Amino acid sequence: MIQYSEFTLSNGLHVIHHQDDATQLCALNILYKVGSRNENPEHTGFAHLFEHLMFGGSINIEEFDTELQRAGGESNAFTSNDITNYYVTLPANNIETGFWLESDRMLSLNFSQKSLDVQKGVVIEEFKERYLNQPYGDLWLKILPLAYQTHPYNWPTIGKNIEHIEKTQLKDVKAFFDNFYAPSNAILVVAGNINLEETKRLCAKWFESIPNRSSEIPLYAKELAQTEARKINVEADVPVNLILKGYKMGGRLDNDYFACDLLSDILGSGKSARLYNKLVKDNDVFSEIDAYISGDVDPGLFLIEGKLQKGISFETAENAIINVLNDLIINGVSNDEVTKVINKTETNIHFGDVNILNRAMKLAFAKFIGDTSLVNSEIESYRSLSAKELQKFAALTFKEEKCSTIYYKAKNDAE
Amino acid sequence: MTLNRQIAPGFNTIEKLNFPKYGIHQTANGLPYYTLIAGNEPVVRIEVVFDAGIIKQSTKGEAGFVASMLSEGTKSKTALELADALDYYGSYFQLRCNAEDCIATLYCLDKHLESCLPHFFDALTNSIFPEKELSIQKKNAIQKLLVSKKKNSYVCRKTFYQTLFGVEHILASFTEKEDIQGINRETLTNFYQKNILNGFKYAIISGNISHLGIASFSRMLASSDLKMASGEFTIPLGNRGNKNTLIAKNESVQSSIRIGTTTINRKHKNFRKLQFLNLIFGGYFGSRLMKNIREDKGLTYGIYSVIEPYKDFSIWYLDCEINYKNRNKGIEEILKEINKIKEEPIPLEELENAKNYYLGSFLKSLDGPFSLADRLKIIIDNELSPAYYAEFVELLNAINSKDLQEIAQEYFVENNMIEIIVGKE
Repeated sequence: MIQYSEFTLSNGLHVIHHQDDATQLCALNILYKVGSRNENPEHTGFAHLFEHLMFGGSINIEEFDTELQRAGGESNAFTSNDITNYYVTLPANNIETGFWLESDRMLSLNFSQKSLDVQKGVVIEEFKERYLNQPYGDLWLKILPLAYQTHPYNWPTIGKNIEHIEKTQLKDVKAFFDNFYAPSNAILVVAGNINLEETKRLCAKWFESIPNRSSEIPLYAKELAQTEARKINVEADVPVNLILKGYKMGGRLDNDYFACDLLSDILGSGKSARLYNKLVKDNDVFSEIDAYISGDVDPGLFLIEGKLQKGISFETAENAIINVLNDLIINGVSNDEVTKVINKTETNIHFGDVNILNRAMKLAFAKFIGDTSLVNSEIESYRSLSAKELQKFAALTFKEEKCSTIYYKAKNDAE
Repeated sequence: MTLNRQIAPGFNTIEKLNFPKYGIHQTANGLPYYTLIAGNEPVVRIEVVFDAGIIKQSTKGEAGFVASMLSEGTKSKTALELADALDYYGSYFQLRCNAEDCIATLYCLDKHLESCLPHFFDALTNSIFPEKELSIQKKNAIQKLLVSKKKNSYVCRKTFYQTLFGVEHILASFTEKEDIQGINRETLTNFYQKNILNGFKYAIISGNISHLGIASFSRMLASSDLKMASGEFTIPLGNRGNKNTLIAKNESVQSSIRIGTTTINRKHKNFRKLQFLNLIFGGYFGSRLMKNIREDKGLTYGIYSVIEPYKDFSIWYLDCEINYKNRNKGIEEILKEINKIKEEPIPLEELENAKNYYLGSFLKSLDGPFSLADRLKIIIDNELSPAYYAEFVELLNAINSKDLQEIAQEYFVENNMIEIIVGKE
């Protein structure tokens, strides 16, 4: 159980406090409710580029990181399809420095042309390093537009292409900040060796004086139900053929979410998983195979990704996957398998909670998707699932007409 | 009173680092294990360390295969039965090997420890390396190798070690397809007998573990067939190759760059000063390399310098991925930074900032049971004093810019460094 209390400041900023006297640290986690799904389709990658600019100095503070490091702190951030999340950890008795820094960059950035130019360069190098200059690095750039036709999940967080990053201007940055970085569009978690009273005092001092800005979150298109199997072929300079299948599944609050998460463990997690045993060990079809869910807030994807053994055709490999899924649909799962994946989930939750920062992030995210108490009810949602229900959800999910498939072919299949 | 946001709030410097008490124990038959009880979550990690690193292998790939195949079947259980037994209780069983040792790790909830331990020990002490599993592992390892070889960063890393020590050196022991094909059951079984069953070094138990759990572990360890490792090892320095190497990958949009040299080990009196100097130079987000090459010029997504310690020496290197057209400019800036840190004393403010940051990061790394257990492993492996981390405060506070400049002049010697580039010609 993660204990917490919460309150909202007069400018709309929601605050969650979680006390842990066993640590010498304190963490501030700020979740801004903006991700790549909120971007203009003609200007993608912007939420992520903006995350970089948040470290480029704010209205009263020239260098965010230098000031933080001086007080013994560390920070970082990440952008997803749904959110942009910033975090700072400090020795608990220096946490006010974190309040000072985070509140100043919520108040206003200093919007410098140089910072924009430099960070564009950094993000373009990131794009190349992670998506272009890696074998299979562009897989994500290919599957998303295939699986999503109208919903903004059809581009990755890094953006559709480098040109979108290059064309960013300072005025875009300002408008984005004013709208999406308003206090009422954020959730602040204060976690660690700090009491509620002190948390309230510091929030009132540093955050409450930030005027709220009217923010208008533009609506974006929903994805229509997929009714036909989609398939593309890609050829690239990779050494081994790869297949990727993405089945449509629900979002974080849909009733199939936890079931799909467990099904992905039954199929893909560890050496007792079904895909590994049937397709890597018993039959020599794949050298590696994995199943995972995209974990998005809006309806997302249940993915199966495998590297083919030499001499195995794409069709054979795909049929082998479908057979494993059909077996799940027809014959169901055993009670032992259900106990196993629920036990694994329980282990993951407890190991994750060792870290104070991780607890802070979980609290912010639970509030973001609807209710902070979800942070503690999660395990019960998993435990309540039976073998029969998992079988039912497998049948609902694994339909080829809801699937997008990529055959990723090795161009110089020499060896 | 209106708030003046231009003035930073006051802050405290860290005056004390605490390393918690840990237990040093021995089974009745003389096998040492350490306990570090910390944290509130009901989680346990057990690491068993063997003297079965790459240094011990007679043919390439042996140590890695033995480590990864400890989970592939025992005298009484197939690989699947073993995985089922451990997975059923939600535990994780991880195996890894590096140059100096092999480490088997069990992660589980305290309430399931009793159920998991017999299977964990079964894997460690009764492994049989079945032929079928071996052939699958070999085939898959070859596929993985093909993918790695397509990565500039892999090619760069490999070339770096091979150039620094010579291709025959233990640290340059990267497996090729032929090496993997040559692996067989007999050599693996021999290695296992010699270096796992008779190569136990110690175990570390960390987390919120009950005394009952510790007692069970101790009992099982004592009654296992594991025997203490004997003998010391030394990794020789090898023969250095050319100063500059360029591996052509003409289709690459970016180049991988690695520059570095060998340097002093952890026991050397200057090691911690060098660590601190490295932090300022390229060891954190606020380092000189990051500030100049990423945050000022936007030439790379990330650039870091690292000290990689081994028992007898360390390797110091920096690496990054840079766009082809900016490559020369990037290298020029790197070399400028190397010269600057030797020629000019570090300004006081930069020094103080780095000290505060460094102590803060230590505080963070001494938070939580597993992070603490990682530090404990360093203390054990290098026979350091239990006060090693606590002493850091005093040591850092005594360091001044002149000391660091001397360290830079002694250890950042460009003539001793090699430079590897993988990318467009």
